[in-house]
Amino acid sequence: MRWASKAAGAAYAERVRDNPDGQAMDAPWFAKRPVSAVRPGDHAWLAYSGAEERDRVIGTFVQEGLRTNEKVVYVTDAAPELLPGLGPAHRVDVEAYARTGQLRLISRREACLDRRGGFEPAMMLETLGREVDLAFGQGFRAVRLTTDHSWLLSGPGRPDLGPMLGCEHRVGDAVSPSTMAMAICQIDRHACAPDELLALRDTHEVLVEVNPEFDDGILKIVRTFEPNGLRVEGELDAARHAVFAEKLTQVSADRHRVHLDLSRLGFIDLGGLHLLARHATGLPAGRALVLDHLPADVEHVIEMVGWHRLPGLARGDGALPETEGVS
Amino acid sequence: MSESFTHRLLPYDGVEGFLEGALPFLRDGVEAGDRVVAVAGPARELLLREELGPATAGVEFAAADTWYSHPSRTLADCLSDADATAWQGRRLRILGEPVWASRPPLEVLEWQRAEAILNVAFAGSDASLLCPFPSSLPAGVVAASRKTHPETVCGSRSLANPSFIDPWAYSAQCDGEPLPPPPASAEALKIDLPDLYWLRAYVGDYARRTPLPDEDLQRLLVAVTEVVTNALRHGEPPITLRMWTRTSGDPSLVCEVTDGGRWPPGTGYGLLPPRPPGAAPSGRFGLWAVRLLCSIVQIRTGDAGTTVRLHLRLPAVPARKAPTIDRA
Repeated sequence: MRWASKAAGAAYAERVRDNPDGQAMDAPWFAKRPVSAVRPGDHAWLAYSGAEERDRVIGTFVQEGLRTNEKVVYVTDAAPELLPGLGPAHRVDVEAYARTGQLRLISRREACLDRRGGFEPAMMLETLGREVDLAFGQGFRAVRLTTDHSWLLSGPGRPDLGPMLGCEHRVGDAVSPSTMAMAICQIDRHACAPDELLALRDTHEVLVEVNPEFDDGILKIVRTFEPNGLRVEGELDAARHAVFAEKLTQVSADRHRVHLDLSRLGFIDLGGLHLLARHATGLPAGRALVLDHLPADVEHVIEMVGWHRLPGLARGDGALPETEGVS
Repeated sequence: MSESFTHRLLPYDGVEGFLEGALPFLRDGVEAGDRVVAVAGPARELLLREELGPATAGVEFAAADTWYSHPSRTLADCLSDADATAWQGRRLRILGEPVWASRPPLEVLEWQRAEAILNVAFAGSDASLLCPFPSSLPAGVVAASRKTHPETVCGSRSLANPSFIDPWAYSAQCDGEPLPPPPASAEALKIDLPDLYWLRAYVGDYARRTPLPDEDLQRLLVAVTEVVTNALRHGEPPITLRMWTRTSGDPSLVCEVTDGGRWPPGTGYGLLPPRPPGAAPSGRFGLWAVRLLCSIVQIRTGDAGTTVRLHLRLPAVPARKAPTIDRA
C-alpha cells in the first residue's frame, strides 16, 4: 500500500504516543478545522450530536470532493440517498460518479468484516489503502475517506474498544504522511460512554467542525449543535452587529434554548450586549439566552453594568470543559 | 397613602445637631412602616444604634464607603431600591451622609452633580432622602448642597431652599469650566476608519505601558469603543483619540475623544439610569454604562465641537513608602 506518502515512514518515527493500552501518552493536541479546510494528511474526527450536524459536515466533505476532482470513499451500509451530501435534495448523479470511480460506496462486509461478520481492523486498512492507491492511477488529485463507526460501538456483541483504537492509530499513521489521503471518522457522540469517546478522539490529530457561519479574521461565528447555539470568537463591535444579529436570529428560530459559547470572545461592545439583551427579551417567556464560558474580563464588564440591566441573559457554564470535540 | 418624593438637607453642628435631625427622621420611618436605611460610618452607626434604642430593629445600616462607591452606580442602585420597595407597598427612607473629605475635587464635583440629578431620577417616586451636612465642611461644599437639595430641615420643619436650582442647570454649571488642555506628552490618533479593531489594539498597547491592572483593560476598551462609535455615528469629523496619564493628584489613565460635532440639548449625558431596569435596555444605555465603567467621565459640547474625557483610576505608585503614623 502506497498512500502517496510525502516521506515514507518518516512520520512513524516522530510519533511517540502508543502505549500498550492504546491511549495517548502525551497530552492530546488537536488542530480544529472547519470541514472545508480539511486537507490531505488530516486524520480527522467528528463526534456529531445529530443528523443535522453530521450532514452539514460530511455532506460538505463529500460534495466538495465530487466537485473538485477528488475521489470520495464512503464505507457504509446505508443507501446512497440517505447519505450526507448525496440525498435527493443535492441532485447528485450518484451512478455517474460511481461509474467513473470518483465515488466509491463500499459496504462494511466488503471493507472490514471477516467471514463471521466481525470487525477486522487490518481489512479496513487494506481496503482504504487499495482505494487510495487506485485513485493515484485514476488521476484523482486527492482521496476523501469517511465512515461512521457508531454501529461498532452500539449494537449487540460489541467488540472491545482495543481493536478499534488500534485501527484508528493505524489509519492515522497511514493518512498523516500522505499527500493524497484525508479521512474523517464519524461517530454519534451518544453511541458510547464519555471516556470511550475521549479515547477514540485522542487517536486523531484534527477535530473537524462545520464551516463557520461568518469569519472575517476579526469575528468568527460558528454554529454549535449540542447545546444548540453559536460559538462567537474574536471581537464583536458595531462593524459586525448586523451579521451577528442575523445569525443569532437564525439559530433562535426553532424551539431550543440558545447557548452562546463565548470562551474565545476577546471583546464585546455595549451595543453587542444591548443586542443580546434585546434579542433575549424577544424570546418566548422562560427561554433565556445562555452565555457559556464567559472570559473573566468580559464577565467583569457585565457585572459592572449589572446582569439585572441585561434581562433575559443567563450565566451558563463557567469553566471550559476539557472535552473539546466531544461535547 | 402615597407621599411625594422628598430630598432634604440637614445642616448640623456637632453630634447633638446631627441626632436632633436624624433621630426623628428614622423613628418616623420605622413607625410608618417604611423601609429605613441609614448609611453611616462605623462611629455614626454605633451612635445611632445607641440613641435609637428599640427602634434600631427597624433600621438597616449600610457602610458609607461601599454605599458611596460610584455616583452613577449609587444613584442607580438607590433608584432600584426605591422601585423594589414601592412594589412592596412601602416607602424607602434613606439617611445618607456622603463621604466628602477624602475625595479628590473631580470626584466631589461628580457626587454633587449626582445629588442634583437625583432630583430628576426620583421625581415621581415616594422615596424620602435626608442628607446631613456638617457645618465643618468646606464652604464650597456646603454652598453646593443648598443648590442641589430642594428643602432644608430646620428643627421640626422643613423649608424650601431658596438657592435650589434646576438640576440640569446645576449640571451644566458643573461643566462651565473648560477642560484643561491635554498635556504635550499625550498621544494622539486620528480616527477615520469605522472598524475599531485597530483602535482597540492601539489603546491596549498604550494601556499596557501604564500601571493599569490587566483586569481593567477590558472596561477601558469597552468605554472607548462606545464613545468613538457614538462619535462616528452622530458626530462630525475630525475624530481624534488622545491618551495620557495623570500623575499629579489622583493618578489616572485618561482617554479623550474629540469630534467636530455638537450634541443636541437634552441628551441627558448618560446621567440618568436607564429605566425601567427590568425591561429591555433603551437608547440611554450606552453612555450611562460608560460612566459605570470609568472612574470619571467629563463631557463638553459646544460650537467648537465635543470632547468626552474618560478617566480610569490607576493604582498608586508603590515606589514611595507610606509614612508611618505613630499612634502611641
